[in-house]
Amino acid sequence: MAKPKAKVDNKKCLACCGCISVCPQDAISWIGNKARVDPGKCISCAICIRTCPVGAISGDVQ
Amino acid sequence: MNLKYDVVVVGSGPAGSVTARFASEGGAKVLVIERRSEVGVPVLCGEGISRKIDGWDMLQGKRWMAGKMDGARIYSPDRTCVTLSADQAGNETGYVIYRDIFDQELARRAIKAGAEFMMNTKATGIIKEGGKIKGVKAQHFDEELEIECKIVVAADGVDSKIAQWAGVKTRLDPKDLETCCQYTLTDIDVKDAYCEFYLGKEIAPGGYIWVFPKGKRIANVGIGILASLSESGMAKKLLDRFIENDPRLSKGKNLRFLAGAVPVSNPAEQTVADNLVLVGDAARHVDPITGGGLTHCLEGGKIAGNVIAKAIKKKDYSAELLSEYEKGWKEAFGQKIKRNYLVKEMMLNMDDKTFDKLAHALEKVKFDEISTHGLVKEVAKHLPISTKLNALIKHRKEIKEIKKK
Repeated sequence: MAKPKAKVDNKKCLACCGCISVCPQDAISWIGNKARVDPGKCISCAICIRTCPVGAISGDVQ
Repeated sequence: MNLKYDVVVVGSGPAGSVTARFASEGGAKVLVIERRSEVGVPVLCGEGISRKIDGWDMLQGKRWMAGKMDGARIYSPDRTCVTLSADQAGNETGYVIYRDIFDQELARRAIKAGAEFMMNTKATGIIKEGGKIKGVKAQHFDEELEIECKIVVAADGVDSKIAQWAGVKTRLDPKDLETCCQYTLTDIDVKDAYCEFYLGKEIAPGGYIWVFPKGKRIANVGIGILASLSESGMAKKLLDRFIENDPRLSKGKNLRFLAGAVPVSNPAEQTVADNLVLVGDAARHVDPITGGGLTHCLEGGKIAGNVIAKAIKKKDYSAELLSEYEKGWKEAFGQKIKRNYLVKEMMLNMDDKTFDKLAHALEKVKFDEISTHGLVKEVAKHLPISTKLNALIKHRKEIKEIKKK
């Protein structure tokens, strides 16, 4: 089974950009006032998930 | 569409606007681009600032000011209170501000100086020719823009992409980022103008909870925790628990909820390159103990703007000339950030009991200086010698490693 990729819940994301700042793969960008993960670049390290202050990012099994 | 300016500033926060203002006052043709649709909105800030900005000629009027503070109270894990009061020291403390209006006032000053602002404009890349930076690619609503310029200013915040695109490493280690959220609560039982800070591993691991009054019965109540000690949604959960257990706050009504991310690292090692300048959070110009960065943005932005104006006049956009900015900010506050980064590292190694012991020792101290510097000086006097030694040994090791590189 493939490792889960980080996924942002747009209803919760407040665009603080913490996840973008700590992503070791530069896989997250600010798009339309929200953080968005590029699953192609995501290495499933979960750093962004732990960083999010409001729990807006979770692992998405594709 | 193609546009042409001397300078493109990416980001309209305080560092971007102040840089734009001073570059414009020095004769440069400046464009500020901002991905959001309103300067200063949404607020991503605890909204406290030192009163040392008085006399800096940065802000006009008083609309940006929510209140003048009379002092600060710092609570250790066992709730021992260390008070820093203005009347005690006859010294300055700080203001709580409306950060949206604050940012807009700084932008207005930049516009008055001749800078142009373009909102809803997101930088999408850097234009390079033969390895040299020649401008910025951007998207303004649906329109693709190519903006040619001599100098690009990365004022694009904690998540700076401009710096990365230009080849400057800016990714933050989770141990160097505070992840934050904050309520603005009204109808609370907070009456006096004291900023409060609550420390403790159970309260806010690697950070603190703050209560910053914005007037009578209204305050910003927020939390910052270290990302390396955080779990998903932990900042909000800890803040909610704190508010619930504080009878002054628990019946408060929420007017605003926001999240934020604050770099608490050493300042960026490289803040200039040919045709490039980094300012503000992008340059990691934040005090690693308090997480405060506004005064540095104003000081650093002024230095950057002046040096950029000089570069444009001399038609010399080299890293060599621009390094005058780097020298300037290092003198103004670079050493302070580096010192406070060491103190932050030392504090992370301290357990709650040590914090309590310190607070017991400092409880009765009359501080002659209300600042992190004054506090650090007093703390240093009372720290167990083993803690100081450990920090020193670690510091020496780090210096050796840097020298090896």
